[in-house]
Amino acid sequence: MAARSGRRLRKAVTYATAVLVLVVMAFPLYGILLTSVQTERDIRSRDVAFAPSYVTAEHYRQIFSGDSGVPVTESMVNSLVVAAASAVLTVAIAVPAAYALNRMRVPGRRIILGGFAAVYVLPTLLFVLPLFITVVQLGLYDTYIGLVLPYVAFTLPFMVWIMGSFVRSIPVAVEEMAQIDGASLPQIIFRIVLPLLRPGIFAGLLLGFVLAWVEFLTPLLFTSDLSILTVTLGLFRSTMDIAIGQLAAATVLTALPVILITTFFQRNITELITAGVER
Amino acid sequence: MVAPAVLLVAGVYTYPAVSTLVYSVTSIDLSPRFRVENFVGLRNFVNQLTDDVFWEAAGVTLYFGVMLCLATVILSFSIALLLNKTFLGRGLVRVTVLLPWAVPPVASGVLWVQMFHAEFGFLNGFLRALGADGDVIWLGGQVIALHSVLVAEVWRWIPFATIFILAGLQLVPKTVREAAAIDGAGSWRSFRHITLPLMLPVIVPVVIFLFVWAMKVFDTIFVLTRGGPSRATTTLNFLVYRQGFEQFDFGSASATAYLLSVLTVLVIAGLGWMLLRSRRLAGGR
Repeated sequence: MAARSGRRLRKAVTYATAVLVLVVMAFPLYGILLTSVQTERDIRSRDVAFAPSYVTAEHYRQIFSGDSGVPVTESMVNSLVVAAASAVLTVAIAVPAAYALNRMRVPGRRIILGGFAAVYVLPTLLFVLPLFITVVQLGLYDTYIGLVLPYVAFTLPFMVWIMGSFVRSIPVAVEEMAQIDGASLPQIIFRIVLPLLRPGIFAGLLLGFVLAWVEFLTPLLFTSDLSILTVTLGLFRSTMDIAIGQLAAATVLTALPVILITTFFQRNITELITAGVER
Repeated sequence: MVAPAVLLVAGVYTYPAVSTLVYSVTSIDLSPRFRVENFVGLRNFVNQLTDDVFWEAAGVTLYFGVMLCLATVILSFSIALLLNKTFLGRGLVRVTVLLPWAVPPVASGVLWVQMFHAEFGFLNGFLRALGADGDVIWLGGQVIALHSVLVAEVWRWIPFATIFILAGLQLVPKTVREAAAIDGAGSWRSFRHITLPLMLPVIVPVVIFLFVWAMKVFDTIFVLTRGGPSRATTTLNFLVYRQGFEQFDFGSASATAYLLSVLTVLVIAGLGWMLLRSRRLAGGR
């Protein structure tokens, strides 16, 4: 009898904790979603509503019709271009580097890999101070290139590391067999390694895109013109604005692509971390 | 094949790291085109180390780092223990716990502005609904503002830490705990003497990651408080930004950036030493 009620109590505690975790972790997101579909008057009421009694798409409509103070649609196009370019460039540089560092005799291999990890520990601003001066002197301030170059550089060490884990997952025997059959190095790389790496390259492109999409410090410091506004900077600019509903809607739209990608690849991300723990 | 990556990383890391070191020991003429002028020796470093603003920021940074690690690890460990059980709706909880990770840092700042708003924020609304005094100015007071920023950051890092710790928990063989239960160990004792020591090699890397991130926090502070009120939420990293891009004093900013790097490396080295020791302990069992 006592054992059974004990088990029941433990079960109740489990479910109570689960509900608490669910509410606390989800609420800020739910809150912004709720704010984005309420009228400005209700948002600014002291009687904070926790559930919607109606839903309005007004703020979303305003954003896309260009009624908002901050050009949200233009900023999305800018971020799309910059993030896509950064993703492609980063992967294009990271894949050969990862392959060479993991499969070939590269002098200073350990130092290079160690250096890639070390820069991650240091504060980004340490590198941004001179970069800012360089970008200004080269006339790259307020240009796409002035954003893409730092994005690529900042994600590259991490990308080489991720791509390395994909390269290592290809059995060496496959390449050795091709070598015995007389295949040259370019043949091995283009006919065998790259096709096998396809899932990794795809994951890398998505990762590079997401990291560039959410980047804030670089556009904050390297751009000022509205024509090159990125989504993150646009969001920040909107916090100065008076339209909270529109800000909430813009926040939802900025976060949505990243949330969709992450949820979709939840399993892969978890596996990547789990593999890291097991090692 | 490594050349492009090494060249780019060297260009965007080594060159600036050296430049920053140069800035830190020179005076820089900002107009017209940022020219390095005179060698000033360690003056910028001495200025920082004798400045109350620097030490205040150093205190805020260390407190923030330690609290972020503590709070995140304790909460994530609890959530991981929960997710390690079987119960209805576990998948839903798991996905939800991961969600904050997918929120861009600036967007997360906006979410929390909406939570913390003194007049129509959700937290005060919740307090009012409970009949409590719902007029807390979350981002206003010196002490409370720092802790509000902390809450927002902990929320953002729980997903990573939980997945990492959960992965570690799943490696602890069930048989070990079952054996302990047969030997009469209660769940607390089994946790304290078996799970926790076995998990130490997993927890220390999590703490290292979290501490590095805490040293680099920028977006959340920028959106929520801009380092204020006064300097209550100005961490060293944020001080670098203020000195460099608000006061355009690149010499001081460079010196501060290097001092922050030294602090980070020292703490990481200490934690790394702990990791090696915990590995040896776990291995020697």
